[in-house]
Amino acid sequence: MSNYFNTLPLREKLNQLGVCDFMDSSEFVDGVNALKGKKLVIVGCGAQGLNQGLNLRDSGLDVSYTLRKEAIEGKRDSWKNATENSFTVGTYEELIPTADVVINLTPDKQHTAVVNAIMPLMKQGATLLYSHGFNIVEEGMQIRKDLSVIMVAPKCPGSEVRAEYVRGFGVPTLIAVHPENDPEGKGLLQAKAYCVGTGGHKAGVLKSSFVAEVKSDLMGEQTILCGLLQTGSILSFDKMVEKGIDAGYASKLVQYGVEVITEALKQGGITAMMDRLSNVAKIKAFEISEELKDIMRPLFQKHQDDIMSGEFSRIMMVDWANGDKNLLAWRAETGETAFEKTPAGNVKIGDQEYFDNYTLMVAFVRAGVELAFETMVQAGIKPESAYYESLHETPLIANTIARKKLFEMNRVISDTAEYGCYLFDQACKPLLADFMKKVDTDLVGKNFNEGKDGAVDNRALIAVNEAIRSHEVEVIGATLRKAMTAMKAIKTA
Amino acid sequence: MSNPVVHITNLNLWYRQKAVLRDLNWIIYPSDNWLVCGESGSGKTSLAKTIAGLIKANGNIEINFNPEAALPPVIHYVANWYQFKDLEGQSNFYYQQRYNKQSAEVTTTVRAELEDYGKKQKLSFNDALQTVKQLGFSDLLDSTLIQLSSGEHKKLQLVKAVWLAPQMLILDQPYNGLDKQSRENLNILLNAVSAKGTQLILISNDVEIPSCMDRFAEIKNGKLIEISAGERISNPTNDFTPKSIPVFLSESPTPTFSGSVIKMTNVNISYGDKRVLTNINWIVEPGEKWLLQGSNGSGKSTLLSLVCGDHPQAYSNDFSLFGYKRGTGESIWDIKRRIGLISPELHWYFDPSATVWQSVASGFYDSSGLFCEPGSTRSGQVNELLEYFGLREHSKVLMNELPLGKQRLALLARTLIKNPELLILDEPCQGLDQQQTQHFNRLVDGLCKNGTTLIYVGHFESQLPDCIEKKILLENGAVKSAEILLERA
Ligand SMILES: NC(=O)c1ccc[n+]([C@@H]2O[C@H](COP(=O)([O-])OP(=O)(O)OC[C@H]3O[C@@H](n4cnc5c(N)ncnc54)[C@H](OP(=O)(O)O)[C@@H]3O)[C@@H](O)[C@H]2O)c1
Repeated sequence: MSNYFNTLPLREKLNQLGVCDFMDSSEFVDGVNALKGKKLVIVGCGAQGLNQGLNLRDSGLDVSYTLRKEAIEGKRDSWKNATENSFTVGTYEELIPTADVVINLTPDKQHTAVVNAIMPLMKQGATLLYSHGFNIVEEGMQIRKDLSVIMVAPKCPGSEVRAEYVRGFGVPTLIAVHPENDPEGKGLLQAKAYCVGTGGHKAGVLKSSFVAEVKSDLMGEQTILCGLLQTGSILSFDKMVEKGIDAGYASKLVQYGVEVITEALKQGGITAMMDRLSNVAKIKAFEISEELKDIMRPLFQKHQDDIMSGEFSRIMMVDWANGDKNLLAWRAETGETAFEKTPAGNVKIGDQEYFDNYTLMVAFVRAGVELAFETMVQAGIKPESAYYESLHETPLIANTIARKKLFEMNRVISDTAEYGCYLFDQACKPLLADFMKKVDTDLVGKNFNEGKDGAVDNRALIAVNEAIRSHEVEVIGATLRKAMTAMKAIKTA
Repeated sequence: MSNPVVHITNLNLWYRQKAVLRDLNWIIYPSDNWLVCGESGSGKTSLAKTIAGLIKANGNIEINFNPEAALPPVIHYVANWYQFKDLEGQSNFYYQQRYNKQSAEVTTTVRAELEDYGKKQKLSFNDALQTVKQLGFSDLLDSTLIQLSSGEHKKLQLVKAVWLAPQMLILDQPYNGLDKQSRENLNILLNAVSAKGTQLILISNDVEIPSCMDRFAEIKNGKLIEISAGERISNPTNDFTPKSIPVFLSESPTPTFSGSVIKMTNVNISYGDKRVLTNINWIVEPGEKWLLQGSNGSGKSTLLSLVCGDHPQAYSNDFSLFGYKRGTGESIWDIKRRIGLISPELHWYFDPSATVWQSVASGFYDSSGLFCEPGSTRSGQVNELLEYFGLREHSKVLMNELPLGKQRLALLARTLIKNPELLILDEPCQGLDQQQTQHFNRLVDGLCKNGTTLIYVGHFESQLPDCIEKKILLENGAVKSAEILLERA
């Protein structure tokens, strides 16, 4: 198997990277009809598997689960998830041959093995559905020519997929059809129907391609989403402790701060996040985020280049073959950081205090979101796709940090995200060493406005506001967020 | 006379440009147990929270605990609403989560919760067990918090309060969600606590109160007025008064199916080894008006969750709704669009950040929060119903900024807005005063004349609509009896 993207001529590469169509709700008037009466069999009953399945069944579709033998015999959690919610569970041999649509919701790292096991059992003309395209694009998995291959990727954790569905809404979703496997031309209809079944059609659906989804997803997760949030958190904590701020306070500020700060991002983009700062703090945050962008730009570009060339996947797969040597070492190292080991102190930090005392994180987030977005767009990814994989997902990841710090974040994100996150973090920390030397507690740990009179130059402020608001991620973001109105506010501690 | 325990002078509290408490004065002497009543929004909860130090108001509050007493010198406030968090300290739960076995494990057990509380308050766990038993709570020690119904959460709050036995206990609507027996048990408990020296302040509009209550007051126009035991509840100045039913609700709902509304044959629900419903057989025909009764924990909410398409185990049972057998291609939205539902749990999990207008309008779409633009006809109906419920002035207010009673009225309007074929009213009048309860039940009687099917859950015979004609009684998850109360005309 070789990297699918690299087998394509440049014209076709650009073509597939550029698939990006924000779908009108009129595209979904047929509801779940294209899948009605069809047999849907989900492989794996984890976070996505269980929750997508519950939604699909509640939308009137016929859903059952197939699990590997060990899981059934050992009555593992995946088996309990399915049986205790009244689903039929069977082995591959029992269920795959009957399936019209097989939905692969196992961890990405297992996809090659899983698909090799199930493909021979699939009936002629059936459909294989993924929620992430890594296996197809990066591993170049070849699927039997009679099978349709489609993707429906909810841009939220599985628990949200369920929670939003039952409250009558949904989560934003990407759908795609693999151009090499659409023998009957039914792929798109089925993907749309599946999307209605999970409720995604109510919150905004982006028609994408396997290629665009994978290349943008990898870029987002390793740079802004996980990588920079990890680096920024560790550096901020260490700086505060170095400068004598109480470690318990520092730990709490960092653990919950990123969630509170990015909640503003979720509601109203970079603009809303920056507007939470005083005028003086905003100008300062703007200046240092510009500086951060200059420092980190080459690193973001390197990540994007390695993702596009397939180099990133190659070295990661070498590590897989090597028993995850690097991954495990980096994971252990993250677990040993002072931030991870210092429990959040029992202090009350108000909503606004998280902004005023953690201006540095606001600057990190702006720099990271804009850089990731810009770098993706320069590489041929369309702005809508780039938005979902940068700004949109940042608050979701921040929420996992608030729950249990970095270890938790790295546990719940995918294998590929975890690997990419460490890779970025390892390179980014030394890159920021000089910058961090200049940072003092006014930017992190204490109120930036303290001892300042708050006066700003009108023209300077106008210029900063203009620069923030006119950035392309803000323009496209305003449109896409409108489609996701009434997103539930993430509750903070 | 001894020193007052609480001495309040000229207390003023404003909420959103509206005066809630106005120069309120109140002296609470050590031996008095006070009952405070007042209509929804009168400021009962605000006053209680102010005394307990949970919110700040202008004016003077002097508190003198008894330094010699053995009881802890604290004022413990039992809120009219309950709260819990998951193991990660978050509380963004959703309504259907408790019916899903795996999700139940995200919260601690009642036992762990009580042990934790005991540790914090330095209380012996064994002392709690007595109260647990008296409130009929023993079987629930190993349930997780998310699995508890609203009545059971109320009991958990009460267990903690009685166990703590503080010098002063303020109970804000403690009867909400409790069944008849539990109310009686609570009154016995409160008398006992009072006898041991805990002073009680009870905020309630209920009639059955502990015999130890000896002073009575009503909050009206921002002031506290002492009244006599007999004259409880003066004439309400409620906006929710009998008016003629909006025209769009006086038409018969358009029937959309044929066959029985509900048909359950030997329905069983269990979580692991724990049986929740056992061999339920129940048929509800179109137009029937049912009363569903059973003590807290008898399985009522699980039964109703099946009817509303909220329970995953519906799919492994022999059970039809609106003529469809469950799991034969219908979606839960096909089911929900025919049902108007209110329940304490729906209220608890409802999107608190929606405005009153949005909340009512969301009833058209069966969503928690509004995600569509309702268009002019429906918008007009929302306005009309808000007017009917006396909520027009609160249209743009967020739900979590209103007192519970008003929130409840808004959700009742939401329940009715689409003039559904099946009304499921699970303790609809929790948090309303007696007048409001009567008005609402009259409204239900009016609506039901048009052929609407009704399932009503209520613990008190005196507070039911007249149209009820059949009754099903659950006990320990099984049907104890099903009987006809009233022959159909
Ligand atoms: N998590 C997200 O936020 C998210 C969002 C969008 C898309 N996705 C995508 O959704 C897919 C599933 O992710 P997830 O997070 O739901 O995974 P997960 O929670 O880790 O669940 C994986 C499931 O697959 C089973 N499994 C593991 N290894 C297996 C193997 N070798 N053979 C057969 N079954 C195996 C597991 O059950 P047993 O171990 O018991 O067999 C488990 O039920 C991935 O493609 C991911 O990229 C995830």
